[in-house]
Amino acid sequence: MSRHDLQNASRRAFLQRCSALGVAGSALPWALNFAAMSEAAAATAADYRALVCVFLYGGNDYGNTLVSYDQASYDAYHALRPTLAYSRDALTGTVLAPGVAPRDSAGAARQYALAPELAPLLPVFDAGRMAVMLNVGTLIQPTSKTQYNNKSVPLPPKLFSHNDQQSVWQSSLPEGATSGWGGRLGDLFVAGNGNATFTCVNVSGNAVFLSGRTAVQYQVTPSGSVPLRGLSSPLFGSTACSDALRSLITQPRTHLFENEYNRVTSRAIGANDQLTAALAGAPALTTPFPTGNSLGDQLKLVARMISNSSALGAKRQVFFVSLGGFDTHDRLLTVHPDLLTKVAGALSAFYLATVELGVADRVTTFTASDFGRTLTGNNDGSDHGWGSMHFVLGGAVKGKAYYGVAPAVANNGADDVGQGRLLPTMAVDQYAATLGRWFGASDSDLLAVLPNLANFNAGTRNVGFLG
Amino acid sequence: MSNSIGTPLDGVTPETSSPNNILQLMPVTLGAAALAACGGGGGSGETPPPTPPPLVPPTAEQAARFLNQASMGPTREQIARVQSLGYRGWLEEQFALPRATSRWDWLVQKGFDAATYRNSEAGFDAAAWRKLIASPDTLRQRVTLALSEIFVAAIDGFIGSGWRSFSAAAYLDMLEANAFGTYRNLLQVISTSAAMGEYLTFRGNVRYNAATGALPDENYAREIMQLFSIGLYQLNLDGTPALSGGKAQETYAQDDIAGLARVFTGWDYDLAGGDTSTPEFKRRPMVQIAGRHETGAKAFLGLTIPAGTDGVASLNQALDFIATHANVAPFISRQLIQRLVCSNPSPGYVARVAAVFNDNGSKVRGDLKAVVTAILLDDDARGAAGLTDPAFGKLREPMLRFIGWARAYNANSASDAWAIGDTTDAGTRLGQSPLRSPTVFNYFRPGYVPPNTAIGTAGLVAPEFQITNESTVVGYLNYMQTAVSRGVGDVVADYTSLVALADNAASLVDELNVVLAAGELGASTLTTLKTAIAAMPGGTDAARNNRIYAALLLVLASPEYLVQK
Repeated sequence: MSRHDLQNASRRAFLQRCSALGVAGSALPWALNFAAMSEAAAATAADYRALVCVFLYGGNDYGNTLVSYDQASYDAYHALRPTLAYSRDALTGTVLAPGVAPRDSAGAARQYALAPELAPLLPVFDAGRMAVMLNVGTLIQPTSKTQYNNKSVPLPPKLFSHNDQQSVWQSSLPEGATSGWGGRLGDLFVAGNGNATFTCVNVSGNAVFLSGRTAVQYQVTPSGSVPLRGLSSPLFGSTACSDALRSLITQPRTHLFENEYNRVTSRAIGANDQLTAALAGAPALTTPFPTGNSLGDQLKLVARMISNSSALGAKRQVFFVSLGGFDTHDRLLTVHPDLLTKVAGALSAFYLATVELGVADRVTTFTASDFGRTLTGNNDGSDHGWGSMHFVLGGAVKGKAYYGVAPAVANNGADDVGQGRLLPTMAVDQYAATLGRWFGASDSDLLAVLPNLANFNAGTRNVGFLG
Repeated sequence: MSNSIGTPLDGVTPETSSPNNILQLMPVTLGAAALAACGGGGGSGETPPPTPPPLVPPTAEQAARFLNQASMGPTREQIARVQSLGYRGWLEEQFALPRATSRWDWLVQKGFDAATYRNSEAGFDAAAWRKLIASPDTLRQRVTLALSEIFVAAIDGFIGSGWRSFSAAAYLDMLEANAFGTYRNLLQVISTSAAMGEYLTFRGNVRYNAATGALPDENYAREIMQLFSIGLYQLNLDGTPALSGGKAQETYAQDDIAGLARVFTGWDYDLAGGDTSTPEFKRRPMVQIAGRHETGAKAFLGLTIPAGTDGVASLNQALDFIATHANVAPFISRQLIQRLVCSNPSPGYVARVAAVFNDNGSKVRGDLKAVVTAILLDDDARGAAGLTDPAFGKLREPMLRFIGWARAYNANSASDAWAIGDTTDAGTRLGQSPLRSPTVFNYFRPGYVPPNTAIGTAGLVAPEFQITNESTVVGYLNYMQTAVSRGVGDVVADYTSLVALADNAASLVDELNVVLAAGELGASTLTTLKTAIAAMPGGTDAARNNRIYAALLLVLASPEYLVQK
């Protein structure tokens, strides 16, 4: 798709959004419903695809997530964080056996084990439905350690800062960015969806990742959308007051802030009607999800929405879910295993749910995080880092495999910038491009979605973990 | 990038500064940001204009507008007080008010220091709400709340030896006690508080260990600079980035963080010879354990604290240095304006307040009483221009809407239980709750720009919109529908003052307009409201109550109310 086409596609999407939602909140909810019903009928599940971003807020400790296992690497790992390391014995049950061993930059084969708490993901890996990404992180362009040290190439802004690196991961720009690559992928497909509202769906709050240049992220709770009581029954017995309420909270306003608030409310009212109906008509989901696991709760709603995507008029959807608490400056040995247990339980259940629903090969789930952490400890935790290890799951994944280069286990070694802060060898833009290509974006689309992608050789932009 | 100083920096990002950039991710220019002056008039120029004494008393609407900025919410009583004393006189009265029973003491009175509560959060929410809703020192409470959203800590991060409720109570009590003191002292008490030591994990932090290679925890060193003092980029006095060659200049690098982290080693609870079986240690400043403190030199931001300097002296030197950094005045002043008055203060407004921050007129730096006064009496806050400027003001955050309703109608907990609880659930409550921010970055960032909005196109920030979404807008209204009619727990309002008005829809709506919305509801909204309420039955107690509940909810839903001007 040329830039011109892209702009046309965006324009179409924008016009559609205008008609469906009304610029400046002028849409009447029933108009929205009619629009959605007719368009939803046109969408079919035959061409459905979904990307699900699982964001681990706080910066996941890669060292204790994908643990170095071959004896030399394990010894180095243990030496660098003696108070934080898993015992090698504890890892024997979760050693990964890929088709091809991962290799470091010197070409030596390496071995890793999942943290024991990630054991529920082992069958997914072994079934070829999960791939492991080695040393992914934010980069402007391919960057060597010499270039890093000499500051001879542009580096991602505000490395090691939570809010900024979250933003760079999600948008390619530091905090203050107004669109992310999930939303920009959504922009490409809004026009093909029967209902623009459900293109980018966030079940965990607000993330720049899901805002497009035109696509608006729809924010929903893990229990679904929230009906407005004052409209669903007469407000304190008064239909006149309900009508007044509807008018007040959906009318266009001159004041910028007032107007935007009413736009959000208008969107909420219309979307609630449609989503409530779609979830009521969704097939039963019998796959058990873990309880007391907020990530599992969020992913369960994603599965329910996917299970009746046609009723939402959705052919392409980008979802965002998250789990917080990964900023393990201290108590890492207490906190981190518990978090990984939640991640594994939620991801495993969600993958099995997509199998149950017959859409496993149409849904790709991937992890992301602020940054990796230091490999050296600080007594009982680790500090902010850079590159990290990530997982991709789904029926379309070319799994039981590693992608990327295994970093040297070191403090200020070949692949880290000190303290085991990994200098990424796979850029977020490459990771995203691979996901986006599968989602249906063209090579030229991706260059517009991912502003740094052009800095990487064309042959390296697709990492190849999706079929 | 603009997490602390808003959009002005966005335009200088290399990737986005080109007008030919096809992505136009952040189409904000410095020019647009400069136009974002929230004051309409009075926003330009660096010369502080004289503030003449009021020649005529404020109207009730003007007094209510002032109280929306300066207090936990207008009441008829406080409106009359402002009209009687004038703005400055009211501030002086509030500054002089004694502090009421602390959150800590209330917890103890209620028995929450019993061993059974050690591993719970029992009592904290109630202690916090009680202060916010009922404490007479309404200005101090508002500033305390603002400080708690700049110097952020949250109860779920108070981990260490139990007694989370007491960590939280001690932290808020400490902010409250120092709300009208100096910034330097505030930084001192925060940086030695057990609560912050727990929250940003430097309690128990140890010096470099050559045997294991373990370095000091960098958490607090990073955030005290990024969030609590100087921010990411060099600033001018007016809060705009100080550019060099057209580019923003970073204030610190990773080496500065590593250097400063060495200062925050060796700190731990002061058990005072006792143990952790009672919560008392949670309100004692932390103490130094010399054997854990870094003995080498500590270099950051151009300061080098010599090797061998002890922990207490190192902290004092470090905080003295940070507190006198030129960024502090605009960085903190701008955020305080955003918490109290408007989201997009003009550079002139920031500069006037920051100048007072740097010198209160008596050569005292960081006098928060003077800073708060300067913010609230500035022409940008008091002048009429903002009332008609379509970009002025700020979205009221959900907590302030709820508390404002409660204060306006004397909501009280007859049992003194204040069982409002944690209100963070986005779908069913307020999406926000005192001292329960999800991270140290608060519920919303000062530089947040809502995507795909006219707000963003205009180059404006709107922090509170970061928690404004399809769930929270509905959750808030549902929550308030219950609150205004049945209360929350046994926290119920007293509508005695409204009952006499309720049979007359116009009188009822006009009264709510003055007290809750500072008279800012437009003619069209007033007509809509009065017509709807007039269509309701009247004449009985039950009917009058329903009229009051409906009128309240409609005002609380009105866009002119939701955006404080």
